[in-house]
Amino acid sequence: MLFNSIDFTIFLPIVFLLYWFITNKNLKLQNALLLVASYFFYACWDFRFLFLLLFSTLLDYYTGLKMESAVNQKKKRFWFWVSVIVNLGFLGVFKYYNFFVESFSGAISHFGLKVNPWTLNLILPVGISFYTFHGLSYVIDIYKNRIKAERNFVDYAVFVSFFPLLVAGPIERATHLLPQIKKERTFNYPKAVDGLRQILWGLFKKIIIADNCAEFVNEIFSNSTNQSGSTLLLGALFFTFQIYGDFSGYSDIAIGTARLFGINLLRNFAFPYFSRDIAEFWRRWHISLSSWFKDYLYIPLGGSKGGNWMRIRNTFIIFIVSGFWHGANWTFVIWGALNAFFIMPSIIMKTNRNNLETVAQGKLLPTIKETLQMLVTFVLTVFAWIFFRSENLSHALQYISVIFSKSIFTFPANISYFLVFFIILFMGIEWYGREDHFAIEKLGLNWKRPIRYFFYISIAILILLFSGQADEFIYFQF
Amino acid sequence: MKKFIFKSVLFITIIATIFTVILLQVDGYTDPFYIRFTTPQKDNLILGTSRSAQSLQPKIFDSILHKEFFNYSFTIAYSPFGPTYLNSIKKKLNPQAKNGIYIITVDPWSISDENPNDSTKFEENNLTLAYVNSVNVYPNFEYLLKEYEGRYYKLLKGKYYHRLRKSGGKMFLHNDGWLEVTIPMDSLSVAKRLNNSIESYRTNKLPNRKFSSLRLNYLKQTITFLKSHGKVYIVRLPVAPEMLEIEQELMPDFNEIINTVIPISNGYLDMTSENHLYQFIDGNHIWKESGKLTSEKIAKWIETKR
Repeated sequence: MLFNSIDFTIFLPIVFLLYWFITNKNLKLQNALLLVASYFFYACWDFRFLFLLLFSTLLDYYTGLKMESAVNQKKKRFWFWVSVIVNLGFLGVFKYYNFFVESFSGAISHFGLKVNPWTLNLILPVGISFYTFHGLSYVIDIYKNRIKAERNFVDYAVFVSFFPLLVAGPIERATHLLPQIKKERTFNYPKAVDGLRQILWGLFKKIIIADNCAEFVNEIFSNSTNQSGSTLLLGALFFTFQIYGDFSGYSDIAIGTARLFGINLLRNFAFPYFSRDIAEFWRRWHISLSSWFKDYLYIPLGGSKGGNWMRIRNTFIIFIVSGFWHGANWTFVIWGALNAFFIMPSIIMKTNRNNLETVAQGKLLPTIKETLQMLVTFVLTVFAWIFFRSENLSHALQYISVIFSKSIFTFPANISYFLVFFIILFMGIEWYGREDHFAIEKLGLNWKRPIRYFFYISIAILILLFSGQADEFIYFQF
Repeated sequence: MKKFIFKSVLFITIIATIFTVILLQVDGYTDPFYIRFTTPQKDNLILGTSRSAQSLQPKIFDSILHKEFFNYSFTIAYSPFGPTYLNSIKKKLNPQAKNGIYIITVDPWSISDENPNDSTKFEENNLTLAYVNSVNVYPNFEYLLKEYEGRYYKLLKGKYYHRLRKSGGKMFLHNDGWLEVTIPMDSLSVAKRLNNSIESYRTNKLPNRKFSSLRLNYLKQTITFLKSHGKVYIVRLPVAPEMLEIEQELMPDFNEIINTVIPISNGYLDMTSENHLYQFIDGNHIWKESGKLTSEKIAKWIETKR
């Protein structure tokens, strides 16, 4: 069930009404409703994978309790590794098995050995990377004595499978979400209205920006051999906005939906394309994943305590792993490595925490220096996205080589002026709201009511006009 | 909470009203199928694939046979003979119809398939006719929301975005179900389209399709069903000689096969012997001017058989 589908438009109000009118007096019932709704939401994709989700949930719930009651560190470690190995095992089989087997057979074929790799004909269960990371963070936190194991299975299962975040995040932490699930929730009007505004803006990003960019991006990337450099550059630019609109739009809808149920999810995006360096970009892009890797991989590896060499090594590790998390393809690995490479100067010069505040805070426009910094960061990001979007490495290299050819000076073939107009409008609104949680959080709040309503209705009508057959979100495949 | 619900409902109502007004802008230019799902149930039907959709013009049948005809033909992908098309025909036909006239166009493509012996694998099972339950309502929100391809703002432009437009052509679906195709008919354009069409059929369809006794059986079921409401006439429409050649390769015994169907119908007209009398836009579909002649000829033939 996609957020931008008719099914979800029916599903959400039904769950909302049941939640606040039927089960509102009893927290246990409310959580049970959320669990049933979440499992139904997930089963709408493929009910068979519900068993995998349930198994993963039971495993982490059980190992969590076992770790807590373990009489010694050895037993605790045993249950910890059971959880980690099984969780990563599932992820490995479903997501990476074929990649490793094919890469291995490809590698040994260079030495004249030929093998027919035994590949698996498996569908990747939607959201597996996300709920696996939920579960892993939970067991790691118990192992590190940061939290107590959750005894109520329903509460724990809601933490793992709460439907707004189940298939594409944000990747939650038990320390943040579980206390909210266990606490009585009362309806909060401003919070609910705020949630609706965020859903509206998320749909705008997804349907108007991402889906329209996708039409051109798919055309350009699938026929890249016949296009000019300028057209390919345009394709890369459109993809840059597509992936942002798609994923941050999804996150906005997820966060807004959760707010309707009185639950705050972690922020996932903070206007990343207004970053002044790559380090800032990564503090603003897919925040829940970046912070997950920081807390559960970078810091355990030693973080930045061991001097420059260790910082460089650990930075490369988390970026490459992060790239690999996105998919079993060398393009993602190179994308991760490129970002590590881009961030290196600031890591080495220890300037990676220079830009912690929002750019041009309290001002209408950035300075020339800030503009140039943002431009350079944006160009590097666009370059890296080419690898992310390409089918394989040779496709990416061919794509880039044409961009850097003479044909860059021709007029692009697939330009869409209305899309360019919408992107400019979109980025203008994003710039205006860059100090808030989402772009239209405060936009129009001081306007007269009819004008404000007209604004919201106009956005909603635009969304409907530009919608059609619901397009999937890119991050579902990860 | 009440305030929130009230405002949400108000907001949704305003948006839904505006959106409904936009959806009502759909016309024959917007979509090649929509109008067919918006008319009331019909007594007299023209059935088949895109050949009959584009060539058989109900107005001509109306004037000669003095009945109101409706063209409920789609395309070879959507409406070959099978369970999906038969179910849809049952929904479109007025159950009270008694002395109806039903014209069914046949050709080797509509009784063949890539999976000839397994109806669960028929392509049309996953296409529009299988999903649209309401075929007689206006406006048909079910179709627009579930099956309309493309983004809704295109409805406002009032033109159907079809690849034909790129070659200077356009389509218009009339209220009687006839799909009028306006396209350049100079010899160069026609030759180009003919070559493309023949190449596509020869390389993509011919090697993959085989006669389907299942589809033939559904053709018989369709005839039997319609005969309980009136008379059924089977027609094989003219095609370009190049296309006929491919069809003969696909099903050399087509005439013998169709001979098993003729006895349960009220008559069979094979127009392939007159191919030279008509003009085709791509070798497969009759040009609208020739379509007038074809429609007239079939109507007069039926008149003699009644």
